[in-house]
Amino acid sequence: MASTVIGQPVPQVSALEKVQGRAVYAGDLAFPGMLHARVLRSPYAHARIRSVDVSAARALPGVKAVVTGADVPERRWGVAHKQQHVLAKGVVRFIGEEVAAVVATSESVANDAIDLINVDYEPLDALLNAGSAFDDDAPQVHAEGNLAHEIRIARGDVDAGFASADLIHEDVYSTQSQYPGYMEPMATVATVDGTGKLTVWTATQSVFLARQRLAEALDRPVSTIRVHQPAVGGGFGGKIVEERSSVIAAFLATVVDRPVRLGLSRLEDFQSGCFSVPTRIRLKMGMQNDGRIVAKEVDILAECGAYAGLAPEVMLVTAMRSDNMQRIENVRSRARLVYTHTMPRGAFRGFGGTQMLFALNSHLATMADKLGIDPVDLHRRNAIRTGDTSVHGWSIGSCGLPECLDQVTGAIGWSAKRERPETGGVLRRGIGMAAAMHVSGNRTMGNWDGSTVTLKVNEDGRAVILTAESDMGQGANTMLSQICAEELGIPLSHVTVLAPDTDTAPYALGSIASRVTVNAGHAMLKAAKQARDQILDAAAAKLGCDAADLSIVEGVVQSTVNDNLFAPLPEICRYHIFRHGGEGILVTATHDPRTVMMDKDHYGNIAPAYSFAAQAVEVEVDTETGQVQVVETWLSDDCGRAINPLAVHGQSNGAAVQAIGWALHEHLQFEDGRLMNGNLADYTMPTADALPRVNSSIVESNDPNGPLGAKGASETAILPGAPAIANAVYDAIGVRITDLPITPEKILAGLAALGEKNHASV
Amino acid sequence: MRPFDFLEPSSLPEALSMLAEHGDACCIMAGGTALLLAMRQRMLAPETVVSLGKLDELRDIAFDPDAGLRIGALARHADVAGSSIVQAHCPALAGMAGGLANPQVRNQGTIGGNLCYADPATDPATFLLAAGAEVTIAGRGGERRLPLRAFLVDYFTTALESGEILTAIHLPPPGSRQMLYRRYLRTPAEHRPVVNIALSAVTDGGALSDVRLIVGAATPVPQALAQTEDFLAGKSVNAAIAAEAAALAGAEVEPLSDGRADAAFRRQIVRTATRRILLDAAGLDWKDNAA
Amino acid sequence: MRRKTLSITVNGEPVEADVPANRLLSEFIREDLALTGTKRGCETGVCGACSVLVDGKALKSCLCLAAQADGASITTIEGLGSRDDLHPLQESFMACGGLQCGYCTPGFLIAAADLLARNPRPSDDEIRQGLSGNLCRCTGYQGIVDAIREASEKMNGH
Ligand SMILES: Cc1cc2nc3c(=O)[nH]c(=O)nc-3n(C[C@H](O)[C@H](O)[C@H](O)COP(=O)(O)OP(=O)(O)OC[C@H]3O[C@@H](n4cnc5c(N)ncnc54)[C@H](O)[C@@H]3O)c2cc1C
Ligand code: FES
Ligand code: FES
Repeated sequence: MASTVIGQPVPQVSALEKVQGRAVYAGDLAFPGMLHARVLRSPYAHARIRSVDVSAARALPGVKAVVTGADVPERRWGVAHKQQHVLAKGVVRFIGEEVAAVVATSESVANDAIDLINVDYEPLDALLNAGSAFDDDAPQVHAEGNLAHEIRIARGDVDAGFASADLIHEDVYSTQSQYPGYMEPMATVATVDGTGKLTVWTATQSVFLARQRLAEALDRPVSTIRVHQPAVGGGFGGKIVEERSSVIAAFLATVVDRPVRLGLSRLEDFQSGCFSVPTRIRLKMGMQNDGRIVAKEVDILAECGAYAGLAPEVMLVTAMRSDNMQRIENVRSRARLVYTHTMPRGAFRGFGGTQMLFALNSHLATMADKLGIDPVDLHRRNAIRTGDTSVHGWSIGSCGLPECLDQVTGAIGWSAKRERPETGGVLRRGIGMAAAMHVSGNRTMGNWDGSTVTLKVNEDGRAVILTAESDMGQGANTMLSQICAEELGIPLSHVTVLAPDTDTAPYALGSIASRVTVNAGHAMLKAAKQARDQILDAAAAKLGCDAADLSIVEGVVQSTVNDNLFAPLPEICRYHIFRHGGEGILVTATHDPRTVMMDKDHYGNIAPAYSFAAQAVEVEVDTETGQVQVVETWLSDDCGRAINPLAVHGQSNGAAVQAIGWALHEHLQFEDGRLMNGNLADYTMPTADALPRVNSSIVESNDPNGPLGAKGASETAILPGAPAIANAVYDAIGVRITDLPITPEKILAGLAALGEKNHASV
Repeated sequence: MRPFDFLEPSSLPEALSMLAEHGDACCIMAGGTALLLAMRQRMLAPETVVSLGKLDELRDIAFDPDAGLRIGALARHADVAGSSIVQAHCPALAGMAGGLANPQVRNQGTIGGNLCYADPATDPATFLLAAGAEVTIAGRGGERRLPLRAFLVDYFTTALESGEILTAIHLPPPGSRQMLYRRYLRTPAEHRPVVNIALSAVTDGGALSDVRLIVGAATPVPQALAQTEDFLAGKSVNAAIAAEAAALAGAEVEPLSDGRADAAFRRQIVRTATRRILLDAAGLDWKDNAA
Repeated sequence: MRRKTLSITVNGEPVEADVPANRLLSEFIREDLALTGTKRGCETGVCGACSVLVDGKALKSCLCLAAQADGASITTIEGLGSRDDLHPLQESFMACGGLQCGYCTPGFLIAAADLLARNPRPSDDEIRQGLSGNLCRCTGYQGIVDAIREASEKMNGH
């Protein structure tokens, strides 16, 4: 019998609240006596703070507190690199760094007070360009130098590989930083209760990691802090652990001992980071005439801005993840992460994958051309397969990449369009494609990647799920509810997922590394099965039959052998309480996938499953204005199994558009380290009228390790867009853009250069 | 935003006397879409804001066969776009007003506020110049009427004197004039024009006369492409003429460079825009023949 | 006149209020009326998250003073439909995947209501144009466009 919930396109469990405008985000919360905070930011990219005079600000009526770096804990916080304080102490390292903060009775008083703070800065030389980080006279961002992290990976015999190659191609690609652009600017409300406990509501992708960071930054035990996740208006990586305003808000609450709200303006949200990591990638690849890749070498220079944050892990992904997408033996990579005096960069949807996949897919298209092979065939020829172990030791339990390629090329009419004659004219069309892979889960920190779910079944037979894996809109709660409803045989509307709360929910990492479906989904499955067993045992006792002969169908426990033997679920749940001394049904289940940590050489099967995607696009290039318009896009995501196709399409479509934005429209402009377009009018994310219909389809490869066969969906889908567009542009006009974004100016310059070349060769 | 006094005159004379009373410490507000942004960024901090919101008489749109179209300064972009009078007598104006900014801003921003703010990255001024528009300005001493060309002085600067209110915009009867308007965005994700262009001409059995070719958004104030206009006079447009005109336009335009685009890029778009609008006007397909 | 007394109708209810002249309509709605469904996404008139209907027309409440709305009838997202009587747009946004994080959703619903009032049967292109004043970072807009088309069909009795 087909499931009525699993695999169905059900609306998100939070949709009803959201369409009424009644979902509550951090900035919507208000408490009696709540105060308002504002932050003073550095106008210098690099400066010593000689002194800060806050007397005038303090004297302003309505101001409750003014704090500076001198007032915050000495302890530094950070991911691996402990580098930051709640507010800058002594030195500022980027324009926008938080120097002081005010708490006042209203936002406008707080704003006025900010204007009254007088900071005496001694401006210092700033390092604004990653390329100069190793110059002899380069300003040093941190005492230990400008190199934040370096990775070297080598497998096989790369030199022999190149020696055996028929074609070697080398090029340099560069990718710009992308602003996550979630619609909800960071907001936090923090309060301290009569016992001194700090409670924080903040827009975060992970309440436990948020609590960890607060404990570190505020230098207090984790158990004295409680973090709640309200509704979150998008994260895309920016709200994991690098975000700083929640730390400031929490600190301020401890200072004034009253509720404090800190909502960033859009400009502040821009200024404080965290954007994706910009890279410069040199890629050299050797191929045989049949298209088989025999050697690959990459050299990466990545920039993390002022503080390392998650950028080292991001760069590791750039350095090696895409190697696993292909059957390849000889790879070598060196990657260096440098500091600059600019805002911190780090986690962003795709987590470093977008950067390398832009280079790799562009490179493959170029080499396919040189060899006279269709790039789709080149991908197929080299693609990793189900059952393979990749060059870095990843066990590929399922790989739907070939099917993804079939779907997108079929949908767009790849072969016909490739063969159509060149038309000339002002508007030129071209097609391009790209392929991608991503992890579903990632065993790192502490050698675990598990997830725990607690399930309560109430006396009326309805279920409550406690988890701290978070839902920022991607549909995690809906997925968990669907699995729970299916296993318990109850309607979806009878399942509630409690909002993440560190004091009540089991420990969890949260929404990172596309791990929620694959890990929390499994834990949910286990918990629901356990609860179901308890219910059936109780029912068996009550009905006087064997539990093995019972099942739950639409809220009724029913014998499978005797139609007359049944009892409504509420009755059984109450019976369970009566018969167990008042204990209701409450189970907790953990699932830790059977994966391994990477060894020191970055080898090992880190994820329970790997997801794949392919995209084909058609663009129209206006050769006079340089404008590139995506006219058709098809993305296919191998998500293992679509527990909720509506959510998977939503993820794919959103990701495809974010990728279009990155490829064509979104470009942070800096002048002397100052962000010049930190607003939504000038940092142009695509609106609906800038886009064609966005199409997505699903491949179900049914991963053996995924819950019900499912893998992650969301991050993979952002990966192929940019190179697919770059390849389509090349197909349209013969101009190969290797540095993103693909601006009209670059198109026109490329066409002009091409014109000159053609001219010269006549 | 700094505190201010909010005044709501209920008649034009009352508004004028309030302006006179408060002098330079006050600002006029129409829809407020531009003014409030400037005030919040603290570019402006008026003591007093005089809202024209209650002066409904300034929202009127009317047509007279001799005088042409009269558009009240307080008509919102959406009013202009949706007006059956405008659609009947100057459909290109309705199209321009209905295609600028976005629906919410069109529901609130006024055409008068747009002209008075004189932000180069806007649409109406370019169109209205090509249409030969004039404006009426009310002051304490009475009304004055001047060509829009004289009204638009520079980047964010108009001929309005302190205490004056723009009351109406006049478009002469179109007669046999053909009007075309095109706007160019740098990328599809941008919303403000990087270049716009308006063409107004009489086509007499194919040959153009009385040509007005205006480019805007590319320049501090919309620029009349005088040499190109002269070149086009008396000519019937074909691909070669359009290409030649485009080259002329590119040469004579004096584009600005700013965060959104540099002068060279704008110059290229002006060339393109010129060629295309001319071919469109002649009913020829610009897609075939690149310049 | 640093303050202004307002007589307005909000979601069908008459409201009298005394506000500072420099109070934005968005602040008035969110802070004074505690109608937090109207969102704050950019405060510069770009994202559309703060859209409300004023006398039936959508505008961005962050670009408007509360004082300017005196005498008007305002509909915020809370007034578009209720839990037991959703607006067809709200229903179709749910069914078609017109939302994910939901932060942009109130603004899109208001913009869509304005669009359908002006143009009851918009083409997909007209829908996209009608949404040009709103940003969504989650959905890629496809679910939103689909939802508006479906609602328009429903409302026109298909
Ligand atoms: C997001 C966004 C996008 C936009 N995109 C575009 C676009 O693509 N194209 C375009 O053309 N425009 C665009 N605009 C600008 C918009 O059209 C103007 O903001 C609007 O027309 C200004 O009208 P208003 O009534 O709101 O003016 P206000 O903000 O009320 O006033 C603007 C200025 O004019 C003065 N003023 C207003 N009316 C009068 C009067 N009658 N007499 C004397 N002085 C007066 C005011 O003192 C003030 O200095 C955009 C605006 C926004 C916010
Ligand atoms: S908050 Fe008003 S448009 Fe963004
Ligand atoms: S649903 Fe998240 S921004 Fe639109």
